Amino acid sequence: MIEFKNVSTIYDDDFIALDDLNLEIKDGEFVSLVGPSGAGKSTLLKLMTREIKPSAGDIVIDGVNIADLSAKEVPLLRRKIGTIFQDFKLLSKKSAFENVAFALEVCGAEPEEIEADVPKVLNIVGLNEKIKNFPHQMSGGEKQRLAIARALIHRPRIILADEPTGNLDLVNSYDVVKLLMKINEFGTTVILATHNREIVNAVGRRVITMERGKVVRDQIEQGKYII
Amino acid sequence: MKKTSKRIFHIGWTNFKRNSYLSLGTTGVMAMVLLLFGGLMVINYISSEIVGGLQGKVDVSVYFKQDAAEDEIMDIKQDLEDQSQVSSVTYISRDKALEEFKSNHAGDALIQASLSELTDNPLQASLNIKAKDSSQYTTIVSYLEGNKFRPLIDKINFYENEAVINRVQGISNGLRNWGFLATLILAMVAILVTFNTIRLTIYNQKQEIEIMRLVGGSSWHVKAPYLVEGGLYGLFAALIATVLFYPTVWVVSSKAALLLPGISLISYFVANIAQFIFLMLMIGVGLGVISSSVAIRRFLKV
Repeated sequence: MIEFKNVSTIYDDDFIALDDLNLEIKDGEFVSLVGPSGAGKSTLLKLMTREIKPSAGDIVIDGVNIADLSAKEVPLLRRKIGTIFQDFKLLSKKSAFENVAFALEVCGAEPEEIEADVPKVLNIVGLNEKIKNFPHQMSGGEKQRLAIARALIHRPRIILADEPTGNLDLVNSYDVVKLLMKINEFGTTVILATHNREIVNAVGRRVITMERGKVVRDQIEQGKYII
Repeated sequence: MKKTSKRIFHIGWTNFKRNSYLSLGTTGVMAMVLLLFGGLMVINYISSEIVGGLQGKVDVSVYFKQDAAEDEIMDIKQDLEDQSQVSSVTYISRDKALEEFKSNHAGDALIQASLSELTDNPLQASLNIKAKDSSQYTTIVSYLEGNKFRPLIDKINFYENEAVINRVQGISNGLRNWGFLATLILAMVAILVTFNTIRLTIYNQKQEIEIMRLVGGSSWHVKAPYLVEGGLYGLFAALIATVLFYPTVWVVSSKAALLLPGISLISYFVANIAQFIFLMLMIGVGLGVISSSVAIRRFLKV
């Protein structure tokens, strides 16, 4: 369960990114977060990984108020969450295998476990042939699938996807979303922030529309992209 | 723990190899910095040899009256040797002084003839005093002046040599102070150059560091391989610097020997080769690790 209670975020330049926001996301939900640029979608995701702290309010994930976490506890929170970014954020000097392995290594996994699990996940995202390739040797769609593999490897309870299809063509975008839906079927909560109307309408699950830092519409079922 | 260390070293080494151009550049700059340290060691060695040589040439002689008894002179000698500033005291008896005088003028028939005319030894017994440092002669002399045996002393040649001693002292101090200052400034420059080079290398990888943090890497987990990488720059730089340093010293040594007889750079540095390599490794690896640690800190705040 993820709860936002009266959360406000004001940036240094006095821009109000989130304005007294209240929101609840249950375990296992697939939530599409839509809204114009500057509506606060990315801020919402960044708050959940503690990339930024809220100016006011509480963000509670599984009963823990993450605004209170110490610097040492932040990596532990991030290991519970898988994050996918528009610009992939892959480690350019590491191969596909090493990029995924890194997320396991930081959790303290044994080398044998890493050797066994990484090829399995790369197989799931269809990159078993590219295991030794470096990101610069991959297409946009492949890079995003690699990023998904990295987000999945430690079996997180929550996946956050910030515009994951922003740099992809339609075919690759559908591939990525299909993967996210498959992950969701196994019980993982997925929060997808996107501008892509077709994708949101195709998913047809809960859709939260944001504007100027507030939730203006929350369609719990069969949601559509409406701005 | 063992597995973690192995992993950290493995990643550090892999990063070092994969960033080959960057690693080569950083190692090259650090090797130059270490050579600069080597150069400073050469300068310090030469200046300390010069200072030592100059100091060794300075002494003070105390001449005793003809009637001073040897026992009493030996008492003074003992007193002087007990002084902390005194390095050595040599006693030259009247007979020894005459013997030396004769041998020094063995070829001078006139002097030899004059000496044979004398019925008594005209020379005085003396104590030759060397201080640990030339600045301490004044203290030693004032100690003698206040000594109960002062009436036995005919003269102390310090007063004739005072100007020379002061000059030597001035040059020695100058060499020491300027040498220290130059070392300090160059060492600071070297440290800043190393730090900035490594900072740029790390800056180049700041996005990677931020990503590692975002996927849940703890501060130490992300940082440790970079510290290894910094240490590797230092390690290779120290090896390169040593390989370049010794042939250079060998070439310079023969030229320096012409200007400064009695100083052999190559034999000094060959005799201390283990310490030299150890020092280079300590400075190189230390600078590399510390610079990496400082440079990476701000990128870990994500």
